[in-house]
Amino acid sequence: MGTLELDGVTKVFPDGDGEIVAVDGVDVEMRDGEFLVVVGPSGCGKSTTLRMVAGLERVTSGEIRLDGAVVNDVKPQHRNIAMVFQSYALYPHMTVRENMAFGLEESTDLPDDEIEARVADAADTMGIGELLDRKPSDLSGGQRQRVALGRAIVRDPAVFLMDEPLSNLDAKLRSEMRTELQRLQDELDVTTMYVTHDQTEAMTMGDRIAILDAGELQQVATPLECYHEPANRFVAGFIGDPSMNFFDVERDGDTLVGDAFEYPLSKSTLDDVGGATDLVLGVRPEDISPTDAGAGAHAFRTVVEVVEPMGDENTVYLRFEDAPDGETFIATIDGLERLAAGDTVTVEVPETTVHLFDGRSGEAVHNRDLTD
Amino acid sequence: MNDDTRPDGDTTEAKRPSATAGALSGVDGYRVLLYLGLLGVLGFFLVPIESGLVTSFKTSGGVGGSLPFAPPTSETFTVEKWRIAFDALGRGLVNSALYAIPATVISALLGSLAAYGITQSSWKPRYKAPVLALFVAGIFIPYQAVLVPLSQFWSTVPLGEWLGFLWALGISDDYTGIVELVVTHVAYGLPICTVLFRSYYKNMNEEMIEAARLDGASLRRIYRRIVLPLSGPMFAVVLIYQFTQIWNDLLFTLVLVQTESSPAAPVVLILAGLGESLEGQDFALRMAGAFIAALPTLAVYIAFGEEFAEGVAT
Repeated sequence: MGTLELDGVTKVFPDGDGEIVAVDGVDVEMRDGEFLVVVGPSGCGKSTTLRMVAGLERVTSGEIRLDGAVVNDVKPQHRNIAMVFQSYALYPHMTVRENMAFGLEESTDLPDDEIEARVADAADTMGIGELLDRKPSDLSGGQRQRVALGRAIVRDPAVFLMDEPLSNLDAKLRSEMRTELQRLQDELDVTTMYVTHDQTEAMTMGDRIAILDAGELQQVATPLECYHEPANRFVAGFIGDPSMNFFDVERDGDTLVGDAFEYPLSKSTLDDVGGATDLVLGVRPEDISPTDAGAGAHAFRTVVEVVEPMGDENTVYLRFEDAPDGETFIATIDGLERLAAGDTVTVEVPETTVHLFDGRSGEAVHNRDLTD
Repeated sequence: MNDDTRPDGDTTEAKRPSATAGALSGVDGYRVLLYLGLLGVLGFFLVPIESGLVTSFKTSGGVGGSLPFAPPTSETFTVEKWRIAFDALGRGLVNSALYAIPATVISALLGSLAAYGITQSSWKPRYKAPVLALFVAGIFIPYQAVLVPLSQFWSTVPLGEWLGFLWALGISDDYTGIVELVVTHVAYGLPICTVLFRSYYKNMNEEMIEAARLDGASLRRIYRRIVLPLSGPMFAVVLIYQFTQIWNDLLFTLVLVQTESSPAAPVVLILAGLGESLEGQDFALRMAGAFIAALPTLAVYIAFGEEFAEGVAT
């Protein structure tokens, strides 16, 4: 069993005479066996949150409950939690076998042969059976990663904590390990809290994503909800690569007026907007597509500034034709479309795909239509 | 400094006609000067040692009749001085080892423990800082300043009575001084040991210690199973440093053991008087004695040399 609840968890670090609020009232509930990815930019408090769950940092206020019991004052060694660190944190003077056995020796009274059996078992699961007598210094980065995971699973903890475990691996190995970790989590069905700054990991691995910014929880939802129905502008910009385009606009009647364009809205969208006039229009790059029909209400003439061919698609930086000094925005366009810098192209932005955010608070007031 | 002089060397080389550059390729004035300088420094260090060594193998006549660094001839060669020196210093070597080894090991162990406490424990930094400040201050107290308080202290502590069971076994009660030396050297060496270990532990992978905590290990078990086994290189540094300091220290032995005639006299006390007589100094004997007294420290350097290099580099 391993349900984990964070209830108004706050961490304040003293900083000279003042203080820094690293984590500000975070509420998350994780059900047993859930894989939650905590994601956010550097310094957003995600690692601090994880370390508080581990017991490595004290909670300033709020409660952390493990299986319903408050663990705020429980020492890390008594929390039945295993953590995988970014640096792997293997014990360099011990063999892989000793590294994996250490936790069982320290935290349980199991007899030696039982420990031995569990280590062998976990090593098989991780595919590191042949490495058991090696020292960490004789292992490759990927192998060390596996040992670090093996050391965590051998303890059979209530909760796994992972602090950017894949960030030291090269790109190919990282995607391999990503799949492997998902398989492992499916197999073991252990509640897992996974911290990363990589939004690909967040999108692909988690049952749910918790997005943090400046210590505050922005949204907790499934990856697709975060993608299609972001709670605010930060989430919309953070999730998705290339990220969402934002245009500051003002509402004038039923039309949004930007620096270089006007965008009329339908009745149903206007209902969502209510009385707000100061708005931000958000459009995902893949929702901007070239059209043969001429410029219209939702179609604009643009000039191509830069084309980044990715093979399957092109990442194209566009600029409104009417605003030569205006900012560029990004469109993801089919790889077979022939485009070059300087070309003029008419692009369509369907109203069903646009997001609208409050200009001041950044809260989402209208998200894209998902019914079509 | 080096970077400033390098370009000059390069420019002179650049001025040379390219025809001669082939023969002299790789040779530049800066390098020649550097190696000459290094050779000079090498000689400066080695000549006294060489002189001492050859002198110790000369008869008294040989010492007076030849240059200090000239090797002995077949007439003036003798190992007699080494034999006399060894006879005279033998018991001193044992006595020195009796306090130098325990004092070195204990101060290194305690220093390691103290450093672990002020780095890896979960005390608040504001509690750790004053403790560290005391340790650092301890390093800078000169030996001379504590000599009087030291002898006063030991005169008030009835250590000799507490160790009565030893004297009952027939051991000379002068050995009280040896025990006093152990305690004194441990106390005096502790600050530097702690500070050396502290810098080493501060650079230890913090996540590794945290991993051990999450693995269920207590503070004591983490020290025993993680930190201590990884302290090898720093132990080599501290053991070599402390052993050399304690073995060669004359001041505390003069205060606490006092006379070379004592059965507990350490090697430094006996060495101080070796070869001194009314007829003058027996240089050969003094040199042989000095080499014998230095052998244990040399042995420690050789024994821990590899770890020492690793420890100094960190």
